[in-house]
Amino acid sequence: MSIIELENINFQYKGSRDGSLRDVNIKIEEGQTVLLCGASGSGKTSIIRLINGLIPHYYSGELEGEVTVDGHDIKKTELHELAGTVGTVFQNPRSQFFSVDTDGEIVFGPENIGLEPKEIKARMNDVVAEMNLEEILGRSIFDLSGGQKQRIACASVAALLPKIILLDEPSSNLDFDSIELLRGIITEWKRQGKTIIISEHRLWYLKDAVDHVFYIENGQIAKEWSGEEFTSLNEDEVKSYKLRPIVLEEELIRQIRGDCESSVCEIKDAIELQNFYFSYKKKPYLLLKKRFKESDGDLLNLNISELRIPKGKVIGLVGPNGTGKSTFLRCLCGLERDCKGRIVSDGVTYKGRQRLKLCYMVMQDVNHQLFTDSVRSEVMLSMKEDDEERCDELLKMLGLTEHKDTHPMALSGGQKQRVAIASALASDAHVLLFDEPTSGLDYSHMEKVAELLQRLASSGASVIVSTHDPELISECCDYVLGLNHGKVVYLKENRKER
Amino acid sequence: MKLDPRTKLFMILVVSLIVMMSATTPFLWAIRLSITLIPIVLLILEKKYASALRFLLAYSTALVLTFFFLSAESEGIVASLLIGYCGIVVQFMPALITAWYVVRTTKIGEFMSCMQKMHIPDGIAVSLAVVMRFFPTIKEEYSSINDAMRMRGVMLGGGNVLKMVEFRMIPLLFSCVNIGEELSAAAITRGLGGEVKRSSVVELKLGIADYILMTFLAAATVIFVVFKYFL
Repeated sequence: MSIIELENINFQYKGSRDGSLRDVNIKIEEGQTVLLCGASGSGKTSIIRLINGLIPHYYSGELEGEVTVDGHDIKKTELHELAGTVGTVFQNPRSQFFSVDTDGEIVFGPENIGLEPKEIKARMNDVVAEMNLEEILGRSIFDLSGGQKQRIACASVAALLPKIILLDEPSSNLDFDSIELLRGIITEWKRQGKTIIISEHRLWYLKDAVDHVFYIENGQIAKEWSGEEFTSLNEDEVKSYKLRPIVLEEELIRQIRGDCESSVCEIKDAIELQNFYFSYKKKPYLLLKKRFKESDGDLLNLNISELRIPKGKVIGLVGPNGTGKSTFLRCLCGLERDCKGRIVSDGVTYKGRQRLKLCYMVMQDVNHQLFTDSVRSEVMLSMKEDDEERCDELLKMLGLTEHKDTHPMALSGGQKQRVAIASALASDAHVLLFDEPTSGLDYSHMEKVAELLQRLASSGASVIVSTHDPELISECCDYVLGLNHGKVVYLKENRKER
Repeated sequence: MKLDPRTKLFMILVVSLIVMMSATTPFLWAIRLSITLIPIVLLILEKKYASALRFLLAYSTALVLTFFFLSAESEGIVASLLIGYCGIVVQFMPALITAWYVVRTTKIGEFMSCMQKMHIPDGIAVSLAVVMRFFPTIKEEYSSINDAMRMRGVMLGGGNVLKMVEFRMIPLLFSCVNIGEELSAAAITRGLGGEVKRSSVVELKLGIADYILMTFLAAATVIFVVFKYFL
């Protein structure tokens, strides 16, 4: 008998059409590694939730059909009974931690099911050794990078010794090296004979691990491949399914890791950055804050004495996690007050708070930057003087006209992002900064963002995008700026695909 | 120095109790001040110099103002504002700073284990633990929202106080609700809420420091109450 069986599943969330399922039949054998792929909102997450019981016990809706997991009838099984059988690693590392410290998080599951402290400690030691977590033990969750958080999440699931492990878009917030580590963890689980189900947009790191692939479209299983069939799909076939590539080019990998020869190309039409130094390890004098200088060297998290940013282009900002990409963006737009850098554009110098007017950052979590009760007033809020015409123009350009009076929080993620962009444009910012705009997006949504970035650049703005997304770079970046330890390693032109 | 969570909880109780009962004689003030010093000393031991210093400054300013510049006969708008400020600082800050110290230095695991030792039901313990876990999250979210507001130049809400609050609270509430929902889903899939009695890896043991501090706190409470109400 199969370890997981979904029979004739029909499901719809209460009050929403997104993520509903129709006539889904899935059988998964013990020890298999299965990939669920398809567009956002196609129902991948719903399938994951059916297997771990969150549907129907936590997220309610109309459910027809039978779900059986390791002999349990999911409908009749309480969620906590599944804890030792099914483990789930979620997409967002920020919201899956119960504890604030790493050790507490790993033992949290075993404590819940009431194991003996001795047994729990033994399990913890095993998991820590298996996943090489010694260096991040005893730390606060809030000080960890995305990749480290995701490893702790994996460990805390593994400590319950589940037979079945589910991963819901686990790589969304990870850089290349962290994804490699994640791949290692998945391979180890596979070797231990666990049944693994992964819902994912990024496919390249899974190609050797998967035994079976389900392609989901509008809540239905539209296609199935065996592992070999899937890896032998050619580029055009993958594209026709709107999937992200299965194979990554070497060149792209090196680029995304910031692992290229150091060189900075000549830029003619440019915005100049001067004296951007910043450090999180503050070294204040008693009353005044220390002004950072280039000679502070290793103390600095950002160390750029001069840089010319091309105007009217899209610049991809790359480098591993924690190398200073976000710091660079925050300093550039003046959010870090201790960074005294200057920006020279068209002969005008912008210092201190003036930088806030010149630059605008679209944050990774756009929810943080939408404040008002309608899309229109959101755009108006950014304008110095209300200008209805310009507002309508911007909304039209970003395809938001029909949502003019909608509450921003009622929009989808992509639409929210476009509202944030509209208000950026309304504020007359010349430098637009994007922090990981495509993390967790499927191929077609990523394409749309890429197109939009191109359009913003061609209207004259400099667009700087920090990203781990190789496809985004090859789709839309005119230049690639590599950072490492807060220093510019290279700035070079990028050959685009189109 | 590592204190047992039980001592810390007891400390919160005693500090808030003594600080809330108004001190009327110099002797009572002496007890109250020495109790207020405890969290300051603990903060310094934890190397949180900046917070200790800030609290000390705010508190002593408020004290000096209350004793030397304000009296029951003070009149005028400045005086009444000052009375409000000093009252809040002197009455609430010590309890607040103690609570802050406890939240910052107690791990969730220790806290849960402490709750179990005191035979508090799992349901209550878990809810309290979630509250503790949420403080840093709220802080993180709040600072992102503040950044966004600075970037858009709406820190002052266009001069409208209501908007100023609204712009901060609405996104904060939305993200806290979202995080809370995902958080509980993640916790439930890892067995939270079962009928099994939770176990705990953390073994708590009261040390010498705990006994000394508890004795001191208990003695201070007794002396304070006796001198205030019975003598």
